[in-house]
Amino acid sequence: MSAGIVQVIETVRESAWLPWAVQYFFLIGLSVGAFALSLPGIALRLPQWRAISQRALLVALLCGLTAPVALLADLHQPGRFLNFYLHPNVTSWMSWGSFFIPLYLASLVLYAWLAVRPALASRAAEGGRAARWYVRLAYGGHESRGALAAAVALAAIGAALVLVYTGMEIVVLEARPLWSTPLLPPVLFLTALAGAAGLVHLLHRASGDAAREGARRLNAVIVATQTLVLLAAAAWLATAFSGASASHAAALAQIIDTPALVGYAAWALAATLAALILAATKPHSGLLVGLIALHSAWMARWTLLMGGQGLSKLGEDYRAYELALGFDGVLGIVGTAGLWIFLYVVLTALLPWGEQSTGLTGAQS
Amino acid sequence: MTDMGKLSRRAFLKALPAITAGAAAVPAKAAGPQPHWAMLIDVGACIGCQACTVACAMENQLPDGSYRTSVLTYVVKTGSSAGTLMLPRLCNHCEKPPCVPVCPVGATFKREDGIVLVDGERCVGCGYCVQACPYEARFINQRTGKADKCTFCAHRVEAGLLPACVETCVGGARIFGDLNDPDSELRQRLAANKGRVKVLKPEQGTRPQVFYIGLDEGIERRLSASAAGAGFVGKLSEGAAI
Repeated sequence: MSAGIVQVIETVRESAWLPWAVQYFFLIGLSVGAFALSLPGIALRLPQWRAISQRALLVALLCGLTAPVALLADLHQPGRFLNFYLHPNVTSWMSWGSFFIPLYLASLVLYAWLAVRPALASRAAEGGRAARWYVRLAYGGHESRGALAAAVALAAIGAALVLVYTGMEIVVLEARPLWSTPLLPPVLFLTALAGAAGLVHLLHRASGDAAREGARRLNAVIVATQTLVLLAAAAWLATAFSGASASHAAALAQIIDTPALVGYAAWALAATLAALILAATKPHSGLLVGLIALHSAWMARWTLLMGGQGLSKLGEDYRAYELALGFDGVLGIVGTAGLWIFLYVVLTALLPWGEQSTGLTGAQS
Repeated sequence: MTDMGKLSRRAFLKALPAITAGAAAVPAKAAGPQPHWAMLIDVGACIGCQACTVACAMENQLPDGSYRTSVLTYVVKTGSSAGTLMLPRLCNHCEKPPCVPVCPVGATFKREDGIVLVDGERCVGCGYCVQACPYEARFINQRTGKADKCTFCAHRVEAGLLPACVETCVGGARIFGDLNDPDSELRQRLAANKGRVKVLKPEQGTRPQVFYIGLDEGIERRLSASAAGAGFVGKLSEGAAI
C-alpha cells in the first residue's frame, strides 16, 4: 500500500482453494515423479536402478491413490465428482483432468500389478492361509514383458497428460499473474521429480544392503533437478526483470510489493538450495536430504497456491492465509498423510514389493 | 391547504408501494424481444453508504460475511488534503466471461440477455471460476459450498423489477437497463458520457457490461498521485468501453 492511498473498506474473499489443493498438487506430482523414477529399474531393466525403482513404483502408487481423495475433499461434497462425468466441458482443463487422472491411475495400477505378478505367484506357491488369494491375484503369475511395456506406455501417456493438465489448469488463469506464467509447469514438474526422489530416499533407507549405492543415485537426481529448478527460477526472474514476458513482469511486481510472499518464496528457495548443497556434498546421506527435497516440493506448491491466492485482484492489500486447525486446514493435511501411511502399511504388508523372486528384479529375472 | 395536503397519512402509505413498484418496473422493462442487461455506475454519485451491499445480502439471503456487491472505499491523500474514493463493484457480466470456459461441468453460463449465472444444481464447488474472475466477483458460498455471485437480481428483473442494489442506491449511482433499448436511461447516460465511460481491467479482454463514469477526472488525478494508484487507475483508464 502506497502512502498516498489507503483502502479503508474492503470485502475479504476467503481462499477458494484450500490446503486440500496443495495436497493434491503435491501428491499427484510426487506420483508422476516417482513413476518416472520407476522406469529405469523396471521398464528398462537397469540392474543398478532396481532397488530404487521398486521403491519408486510403490511411492507412485501410494501418492497416486491418495491424491484424488484430497481433490474430492476440496469439492465440499465428494459425491459431486459425478457431475464431472455427467456434464464434461471441453474448454476446461479441469474437466479434461477428470478423465486424465483415472487414465493415469488405472494404467499405473496395471503396471504395478504386472510388475509384482510373478512374486504374487511365488507367494501363492509358498502356501499358507492366504495362498488362494494370492493365486487369484497372480492370475497365472506369468511375467509378460510385452504387457508390462504396454502398461508402462499407457501410464507414461497418462502421466504426461496429468502434467500438462495440472500445469495448464493454473497457467490459463490470467486473472492471477503469479499463476499465469509459462515457466511454471516445468518448475512444478522438476520440483515434483525432486520431491519424489526425496520420498524414495526415505523409503530406500530401510531397504538394506543396496541403500548406500541407491542414495548416491537419488542424490544425483536431486542435484540435477534442484539445479534445473534454480535455472528455471533464474530464467523466470530474467524474463520478468527484462520485460520479455509481460506475465512474468506482472507477477514479479506483485511479489516484490508483498513481503509475506517474498518470505514464502525465500523459504522455498532456501529449501531448494539446502537440498542441492546437501545432496552434492554428502552423496551417500539420505534422511535429511530426502526430507528437505520433499519439503521443497511441498513448499513450492504452498507458496504458489495459498500464497498466490492472498494477492488481491482489485485491492492492494495482501491477505495472508490463516491455516485453520480443522478439516479444511491442519486436519486435512494430517489426514492425507494418515491415508498415505495407511495405504503404505496395507500395500507393503499384503503385496510382495522388492522380493528377489519377483518380476521387479529387472535384469536379474 | 393544497389537495396533496388533504391526503391522509394512511392513503399516502397505501399508495407508496405502488409508486415504488411502478418506478422500479419502468427502467427494467425490455424494449425489444431480447434485452441485453447492463449497468452504469456513476462513481461521483456514490456516497459509500453500503446500502447496496446490505440490500443485496438481504435480497439474496447471503451467509454472514459474504457479499455479491460491495463498495470498496479508499482514502486518497494529495499534498495536504485528503479525499475519499468509492468503487462499487459486482459481477461485470462480461461479454467474454473468463469464468465460463474454465467451469469443468458447464455450470456457469451467459444467458441471451447478457446475465452470467451459475446453475446451482450442477456446480461442484471446485472454485475454478472464482480463480478465473479478474474482478473478485465470485466466492464459495459457505452455506451451499458452491460458487456464488451477483445475478443482476435476475429473479427481480424477470418480474419487471430493478436489482436490489439499484433500487436501494441512495445517490442514484447505479443505473440498470437494456443496452438494446435506445430510449433507456442507461443508453442515454452512456451516450451523454461518451469518452468518459470506463470499465475495470480492460486489458483482460473480458468486455465487462458494468460501466463506470466519474473516474477520469478528480478521482483519477488523485489516485494517480501515488505509484500504486497510478497502476490501479491505469488499468481503469486504458480504454474506453464504448
